[in-house]
Amino acid sequence: MIARAPLRRSAPSGLAHNLLLSHHALLAFLSKSWGNRMRFASFRLASCVVATAALLLVANAPAQAQTRAETLRYVTGASVNTLDPNIPGSTRESFALSMSTYDRLVAFGRKQLNGKWVFDLDKITGELAESYDVSPDGLKLTFRLRKDAKFQDGSPVTAEDVKWSLDRCVTAPILGKAQLLTGSLTSADQFKVIDPVTIEVTLPKPDKLALPNLATVYPMIINSKVAKEHATTDDPWATAWLKEHAAGSGAYVVETFKPGEQVILKRSEDWNRGSPDKPAFFKRVIVQSVPEPATRANLVERGDADLVLDLQASDVQSLEAKGKLKVVSTPQYNAITFVSMNNQIPPFDNVNVRRAIAFALPYDDMFKAALFGRGSPLFGATWPDGKPLTGIYPFQAPVKIDLDKAREYLKAAGLPEGFSTTFSFNVGQASTAEPMAALVKESLAKIGIKVDIQKLPDAQMSTQINEKKLPLFTEGIVAWLPSTDYFYRNFYTGNQRWNYSSINNPELAAIAQEARFEPDKAKYEEDGRKLNAIHFSEMPQIPLWQPNQDAVMASSIEGYTYEFHRQVDYRDVSRK
Amino acid sequence: MSAASDIRKRKELLELMTGLGATMVRAGRRLLSSLPALFGVLVFTFLLMRVLPGDPAVFFASGPNAGKEEIEQIRKQMGLNKSVPEQLVFYLSDIGHGNLGRSMMTGQPVLKDLRERLPASLELTFTALLIALVAAVPLGVLAALRPGSLVDHGVRMFCALGVCVPTFVSGLLLIYVFYYLLGFAPDPTGRIDVFTSLPPQRTGFLSIDFLLAGDIDGWWAACKQLILPAVSMALFVIAPLARITRASMLVSLGSDFVRTARSVGLSWRKVVVTYALRNAILPVITIAGIVFSTMLGANVLVEKVFSWPGVASYALDALLSSDYAPVQGFVLLMASVFVLVNLIVDICYGIADPRVSIE
Repeated sequence: MIARAPLRRSAPSGLAHNLLLSHHALLAFLSKSWGNRMRFASFRLASCVVATAALLLVANAPAQAQTRAETLRYVTGASVNTLDPNIPGSTRESFALSMSTYDRLVAFGRKQLNGKWVFDLDKITGELAESYDVSPDGLKLTFRLRKDAKFQDGSPVTAEDVKWSLDRCVTAPILGKAQLLTGSLTSADQFKVIDPVTIEVTLPKPDKLALPNLATVYPMIINSKVAKEHATTDDPWATAWLKEHAAGSGAYVVETFKPGEQVILKRSEDWNRGSPDKPAFFKRVIVQSVPEPATRANLVERGDADLVLDLQASDVQSLEAKGKLKVVSTPQYNAITFVSMNNQIPPFDNVNVRRAIAFALPYDDMFKAALFGRGSPLFGATWPDGKPLTGIYPFQAPVKIDLDKAREYLKAAGLPEGFSTTFSFNVGQASTAEPMAALVKESLAKIGIKVDIQKLPDAQMSTQINEKKLPLFTEGIVAWLPSTDYFYRNFYTGNQRWNYSSINNPELAAIAQEARFEPDKAKYEEDGRKLNAIHFSEMPQIPLWQPNQDAVMASSIEGYTYEFHRQVDYRDVSRK
Repeated sequence: MSAASDIRKRKELLELMTGLGATMVRAGRRLLSSLPALFGVLVFTFLLMRVLPGDPAVFFASGPNAGKEEIEQIRKQMGLNKSVPEQLVFYLSDIGHGNLGRSMMTGQPVLKDLRERLPASLELTFTALLIALVAAVPLGVLAALRPGSLVDHGVRMFCALGVCVPTFVSGLLLIYVFYYLLGFAPDPTGRIDVFTSLPPQRTGFLSIDFLLAGDIDGWWAACKQLILPAVSMALFVIAPLARITRASMLVSLGSDFVRTARSVGLSWRKVVVTYALRNAILPVITIAGIVFSTMLGANVLVEKVFSWPGVASYALDALLSSDYAPVQGFVLLMASVFVLVNLIVDICYGIADPRVSIE
């Protein structure tokens, strides 16, 4: 139940009354003269509507409810489509929601990056686990559960529940399977119940990403007793039921769930996994889908919404300039926007053609036109000795627009006259990609490359990428666990969808694989530098920038943190 | 005397009954004859969706680590691993069982989604159409009474403005003025203020459900949400309605029976409203029917701007992500609505002009 605002019913003013009366008179007149047969019920409805129109002119905006300060209203262009983020096709908003409705064994800490709070991959704290140990050889992780942890139905969280949930994640045909694979978690045999509050995870290799993987969205801990009641023989892991129902121990209870419209959450008073052992701040959270970005901007500016992430860059800029709202711009340090070439399709199979493109892009203009400069550039670095400055990926590359150099590379590739190609982007990214595409076309024309711009519907674009049919396009990637080897293994190796550039470089693949299990930090850094050097010399794709995530919020909102899933974690925020 | 009037009344009633019966038979026949068309629409949309480029399975498997296995699994879940004729047979048999499939986008059965969203669209469209009719008919009549006058030109200009401003522009303008600047209107986010609790669902039309629940405050809140989107939609369709009213009134005013009515000295009201307008209303009904069906499907921009949870924006989102089932369900729904609206228009003809009987 939602408490309603104490009502503000002002009597209609004289003007409204007159309007009302005159409309009624008109309608009465019309219906009388049209004879009995034309007297439809709809006339009554019509008079209601007309009366409403008149009254609207004098009615005032609703006074806010008492509970308004304790409510977080978050508006977004996307929507929540499932309560279980493991379901194929679930949206990013669903990921974020599940962070608040379910707990995991562990969670990421947070750190400050240029004065902004961001998640910290290297600091892992207990969530349902009171504490955890990693054995010296790195092959055994032992978690001790909090004794006071309860599911939202009041039953205690046991090691059995944890085992069932993790088993589900690696066995059921759901999204968690592919994610946990990246942390060497592949089989139910790896999870062992020691006693009701202790669970042990064994690893085949000392995988650095095993622990962080347990803090991601998918391995959430489900109330196994409740879920099992709703399991069927066809669906032993209750995926159908969990899609519509939440059975977790998280900070918020789902009160109403309307897919595609809104979700309303109620605080779970028992939950104490927040930093100072208190429940979450907001008593109620409303997650509402508002498809039109201009409307979202209006809502937050008027103070009707508290927080929004996906505004247009131009709106963010003007709101920031007005200074009424708080704008937290965090470079998405686990995301990259790039221009990719298909390294298997001529002429892009020639490294000199790829280099020519890299030196023919108008980086600064693109950065300004697409993002209004809101992000961290990955171009324009200077490498004094021609070697990468860091072993961290993504890195800033020494590329800038240099048309003479580009022409030389084209000549070296045997294509001094240039060629024709297409440049594709998807409709969903049009607001940033469209101005970019025009600049790419203009600039490449100067070195003789004729570009046709293709704007593709999202589903079509992903299909073409999957089938490796696009020669030149722009896309963005994100890694939940942004370590160098993770990026290289997932996005630059193998004949698979996420290898956008279709690069096939055995040396790169070997180093990335080796780095995965490299325990020594210095050696890992060295591997990273090697990988970055190969990336730059092969130029499979051209990283452009890391766009900022602009969180625009009421000035009273505090604690906003940029999370790995790039959405709001409602547990982070509070009101001053 | 009383017996005579009694007989007359009975006779009238009998006439009315036979008239109604004939209308019903006619309506039933028309309904039957539209079934092949509906079936055609069904098959055509099904094939069209499969011909369009873009693989929905790939799109929906776009989680951070979704690979080939996930894609295959979604394909299986959507039934895309079978051949197209097989899929069509399964689809038709599903429809026969009243199952329109499941939306990948919302994760819900399409039938449930449409059932929840159709009332929202209908409520908006009905309101907009009513506003449009209430504005357009008097405007058209006024213009026709003084053709070539300042009033006529004024009406023409108003109509031209309404048509040439796209609905989303007028929508955004209305939001800017009434919500952002003046603060009169509630925030343009859907059918009801998020802080208002919903009435028990009976008809799905919030303005009716609130009244049935006796919740006047809630009803008022729902109406306030409705008014801006309805007005921005209405502005767009006032023009065709007003123009057709004007044209048809001009013909009607110039006809013999109006001249006769004037010459025998009937009152202005009787001449214009009872005789001229009544006879001029047929084309207006036709256009209103067409306008209604078009609005229901084409108001996607208004739905987007006002976050209105209607069927049109649902279908557009589904189309962009190649989510087959909702698009097919939507087209089927729209085709059925067209059939129904045509039927109602036919029946209205009969009521407006008893001489009409369309076979």
